[in-house]
Amino acid sequence: MAVILVLLIIVVCIEIPGYFENNYINILKNSSLNLVMAAGMLCVLLVGSIDISVAAVLELSAAVAGVLMRDGHIQSVGMMFAVGILIGALAGFLTGVLTSYGRILPIIVTLGMTYVCRALIPMDFILGMDKIARIDLTDSFKDFILQKFLGLPLIIYITLAVVLLIGIFLKYTKTGRSLYAVGSNVKAAAMRGVNVNLTKVLAHTICGATAGMAGIMRLAEYNAIEKGACNGGEMYVIAACVLGGVSVMGGYGKMIGVVIGAALIATIDSAIPQLFIDATMMKEFFKGILILAAILLNVLFQRASNKRMKMKESAK
Amino acid sequence: MKRKSPLKAYSWEFMLVGLLVVLWIIFEIKDSSRGRDVFNFARMMSGMSVYMLYSFMALGMALILGMGDIDISVGASATLSAAVMGVLYRSMTSGGMANGPAFAIAILACLATGCLCGFLNGFLITRFRELFPMIVTLGTMLFFRGFCYLFLGGETLKFENDATWALLKKLYNGSIEIGSVSFPTIILWFLGFAAVFYIFLHKMSGGRKLFAIGENRISSRCSGVNVDRFELLMFVVCGFMAAVSALFYIGCASATVRADAMQGYEMYAIAVAVLGGFSTSGGKGNIIGVVLSVLIFGVMKKGLGTLFGFSDSTVNLAVGIVLILASLLPNIVQYISHKKQLKKQQTDIQAFPSGKP
Repeated sequence: MAVILVLLIIVVCIEIPGYFENNYINILKNSSLNLVMAAGMLCVLLVGSIDISVAAVLELSAAVAGVLMRDGHIQSVGMMFAVGILIGALAGFLTGVLTSYGRILPIIVTLGMTYVCRALIPMDFILGMDKIARIDLTDSFKDFILQKFLGLPLIIYITLAVVLLIGIFLKYTKTGRSLYAVGSNVKAAAMRGVNVNLTKVLAHTICGATAGMAGIMRLAEYNAIEKGACNGGEMYVIAACVLGGVSVMGGYGKMIGVVIGAALIATIDSAIPQLFIDATMMKEFFKGILILAAILLNVLFQRASNKRMKMKESAK
Repeated sequence: MKRKSPLKAYSWEFMLVGLLVVLWIIFEIKDSSRGRDVFNFARMMSGMSVYMLYSFMALGMALILGMGDIDISVGASATLSAAVMGVLYRSMTSGGMANGPAFAIAILACLATGCLCGFLNGFLITRFRELFPMIVTLGTMLFFRGFCYLFLGGETLKFENDATWALLKKLYNGSIEIGSVSFPTIILWFLGFAAVFYIFLHKMSGGRKLFAIGENRISSRCSGVNVDRFELLMFVVCGFMAAVSALFYIGCASATVRADAMQGYEMYAIAVAVLGGFSTSGGKGNIIGVVLSVLIFGVMKKGLGTLFGFSDSTVNLAVGIVLILASLLPNIVQYISHKKQLKKQQTDIQAFPSGKP
């Protein structure tokens, strides 16, 4: 279904001559942050949980790593990613333990985690500064992510690697399949010997780790981070998953769908300023309308195909 | 039928009262050790009105959570209502209309916009049952926010300082003397709304229907509740409450509205309602709990901020931890009592191996 939607959008884009040729790198680049987080979100949605703290985790990991770099504790790019992923994974782990072993509803835990992460953003209250700026970062880190390799910026390769890794993990490993099992039927999964609680913790940890990684990527791309910089970003992550046909009930969803969903949002983002003159305001307006319409259209398509299936069965 | 003892039936509310008392004692000790009288009832009341803006949304949210739904578009629909009100007011007064009637029409339009937003939410949720309320309202949140940008653009809407405007400010900032204590009007408004909601939710058939839907949607449909229509109505009420808090927002925030105002208020509203005992899975909750949790949030923010001199983000840290701990506590209690029960069963079996006492 999502494929049809993307085709529709692309047809619209052809209205502007040469649009796709000029912009596909931008589309890929703009969707990359959202896509990395959406890949983690997919794991969480698969086990029937949800995480609305990813944007706050992103800010936290970027801020902590940025402070460490500013104070000269870290120089290398690899260490930055290690720190970011570690912080994200820790936050995700905590969320996972509270939801699975603590039996609190995930939306409440992650709402609380949003407060906690935003409050912990360190430069705010320890150092009395309110942002990490360009001068705080080393040159090698600033240049790293947009370096071109075979004509594409490195950020796209990193995103691709994360997506492939999680996609293969979900599809071809036993642990990955158990995520689907837990999401579709908890009791059946437990009877088959899947450790339900541990699987949920794992899913949340992966989601946190991707959010932490996205934080470092964002810091490298924009060279700045401040508190609330990504406010509301979690909504676009969830929207990308839902547009990609992932069920919020758990148990159903494919990585390829998530990729299409994220690409769809990025396409909307970059196409509208070219279609209209009064760009920035119209962009917000159309983004809202198009995402809502896409979510609803997805359901209508599904209903139509279900009906057709039923008619076929009754014809037999 | 045996009735539950009040201690058990209102255990959550008693816990909240306990938390409030503990907070109050801590702040009182801290205050007296500093030798200043910052922390008295009257000052607390006036200081708290800053944190009351989202409490109106929390009342509407309580209805939605009671049905097992969720509405994360309230912040955006409040901003949209405020934007519609401001644009309408400006165009009417510049068109030569007198301030008074223009103002009345603008307020009505604000409330109507809120209801319309709620109606759209309810309509989509009841028509598209495949989608979770969270996803639908996520979509409408972006949609409403987009409309705000369409209406306002990047500008900050300012309301002229005239006599009619002072009315709305008084609504928010004014105070009424009762005895020796002066209550800010916003708290009285809140208590008034809370009383109406309490009567509806706990003394009328509507509340029974609402909790029945939250408990089991299908069985309540089978027992003759028009689930779709009732749910739609509740969403309209929730949108209305969002518009009400938009009115107070304009009254408080120096009469300006921007397209990105009130972002994240929905999360505050959910946090207040959840701490008040409404679970997101529906079917339980009490308005008294919501009132108490509004007080706790207000006291905690005010007390930690002014007495301990903590920054805003540290206070938010405390809010987040309290939210998580408060939802963890009943689960732990349940777990322990469940273990006790199991143990008791085991000893019973050992005492009477034949299975007959």
